[in-house]
Amino acid sequence: MRGGNVVLGAAGLAAFLALGEAVPRLGLVKEAYFPPTSRIAAALVDEVADAAFWSALGDTLTGWALGLAIASCAGVVVGVVVSIVPYLRDATASTIEFLRPIPSVALIPLAVLLYGTELKSVLLLVVYASFWQVLIQTLYGVQDVDPVAEETARSYGLGTWARVRHVLWPTALPYVMTGVRLAAAVALILAITTELVIGAPGLGRQIAVAQTSQAVPEMYALIVVAGLLGLLVNVGARTVERRALAWHQSVRGEVAV
Amino acid sequence: MRRLSAGLTAGALLLVATACGSSDDGSSDAGASSGGVTTVKLGLIPIVDVAPLYLGQKQGFFEKQGLKLEFTPAQGGAAIVPGVVSGQFQFGFSNVTSLMVAQTNGLPVQAVANGIASTGVRGKDFNGLMVKKDSPVKSPKQLEGKKVAINTLKNINETAVRQAVRKAGGDPDKVELVEMAFDQMPAALDQGQIDAACVVEPATATIRSQGGREIASPLVDVAPEVTVAMYFTSTQYAQQHPDVVKKFQDATAESLAYAEAHPDEARQIVTTYTKIPASVLEQVILPKWPSEPNRASIEALMKLGEEDGLFKKTPDLDALLP
Repeated sequence: MRGGNVVLGAAGLAAFLALGEAVPRLGLVKEAYFPPTSRIAAALVDEVADAAFWSALGDTLTGWALGLAIASCAGVVVGVVVSIVPYLRDATASTIEFLRPIPSVALIPLAVLLYGTELKSVLLLVVYASFWQVLIQTLYGVQDVDPVAEETARSYGLGTWARVRHVLWPTALPYVMTGVRLAAAVALILAITTELVIGAPGLGRQIAVAQTSQAVPEMYALIVVAGLLGLLVNVGARTVERRALAWHQSVRGEVAV
Repeated sequence: MRRLSAGLTAGALLLVATACGSSDDGSSDAGASSGGVTTVKLGLIPIVDVAPLYLGQKQGFFEKQGLKLEFTPAQGGAAIVPGVVSGQFQFGFSNVTSLMVAQTNGLPVQAVANGIASTGVRGKDFNGLMVKKDSPVKSPKQLEGKKVAINTLKNINETAVRQAVRKAGGDPDKVELVEMAFDQMPAALDQGQIDAACVVEPATATIRSQGGREIASPLVDVAPEVTVAMYFTSTQYAQQHPDVVKKFQDATAESLAYAEAHPDEARQIVTTYTKIPASVLEQVILPKWPSEPNRASIEALMKLGEEDGLFKKTPDLDALLP
């Protein structure tokens, strides 16, 4: 079954690449604006040989990792605090629902004003976008705590911290992990978008430079790299999720009693 | 599981700590001097226009003045004016219409050195109003009722295109201007999504290589040898650091003169900060890099801009220009 999936996946990718080669070659779109796969691959090889590419990749990953870490920690802490402090959830619900849908990209002028075109601008937007993913999942996770388990822990005399640690956290963790996985993808999108739009150092800026330079194959090569990064981020996030939840029934695959 | 979550938390906290650490050595101290060399941040768009400063840095013209430029490429230029006003950059590169708009909006900006000028040669300018090979349009007058792409509405290219139409005897109000990034114009023109495009290099070279025709040189229609863009700083910085501004002006003037005299070296340095393919770069028409701005041409841009309703009030050129 698993082997079949891999073969199917590889066949799908091969078909996609072949389509990318054929469409411009057949003249359906102009080669000048959408180069065939082979030319993009050649440009990719050139890029990989360039030191500037690697430092750009490093900048993007730095922005992504720092932003994701800050957003995840803040999301979990705020989520737990908002949930367990009485009345705080109700008091903040409308504010959260107001702030959450604001697209991070709309804050670009603010980021530029505060931090110019530096890493901090990227962080501001990455953290803003991915924070909500983690926060909302944490809130739902905490809400899902079994009241009987909570009451039992209470009657056994467990303190607030012990109940957070042994009752709330195991219940919320699967939700938090989903939040972090979603946030990981959002953080990458935002990191590259910010670099592309305001020119903070990183892959996004390289894409923008290629665009303004009329270097079309190079631009697509960098876009492919962005796609590959997204793929890796997703695989990595799923692995972390599976590890952290190895004990959970959703991962163990056993039927809950 | 406990160890893992502890590890994850510890790692995350470490990352947060690094984030805080690196944010301390922020930009506010840029422009400070150490060992007799003042490092200044320059916000610019990585295009052909700014080649003289890259060249000047390489030739040591800035070092001679005790300056070190830190190039901070920003996309589209939208980040540059706020960046300079908020002190993220000490200097920036912007077109003069944007500077006039910024000034009339109450932003404290001040031009300090010349940037680029149009070549003033019709058909041989870095900026052109172009149509595709088989287009029936022969003159800007025929653009009435047609769609023309410019990079930014209510800015210098709107002034230029409207003037080109006006000069050809057409009514600029009848031309539909749409906003589009320069790099997308060749494809859009080719696909027929737009009827004409006001492009700059290297997109101009791309369109020429596809057989596109230039029906006007809009900047030439504005004035001969228009000062298109300049280097600027904030009024506060100019007041607090007149010595740095003076050094920047001198080194920039020397760089502009050098680039003007050595176009091949200018072309060469462009490859270090852009990805323009060598085949395209050969075809690119370089702008003029005079050391001094052409005030008459800026006045012409201002008058036309006022006519087109670009400014809230009349720009004060005496305050804006060096």
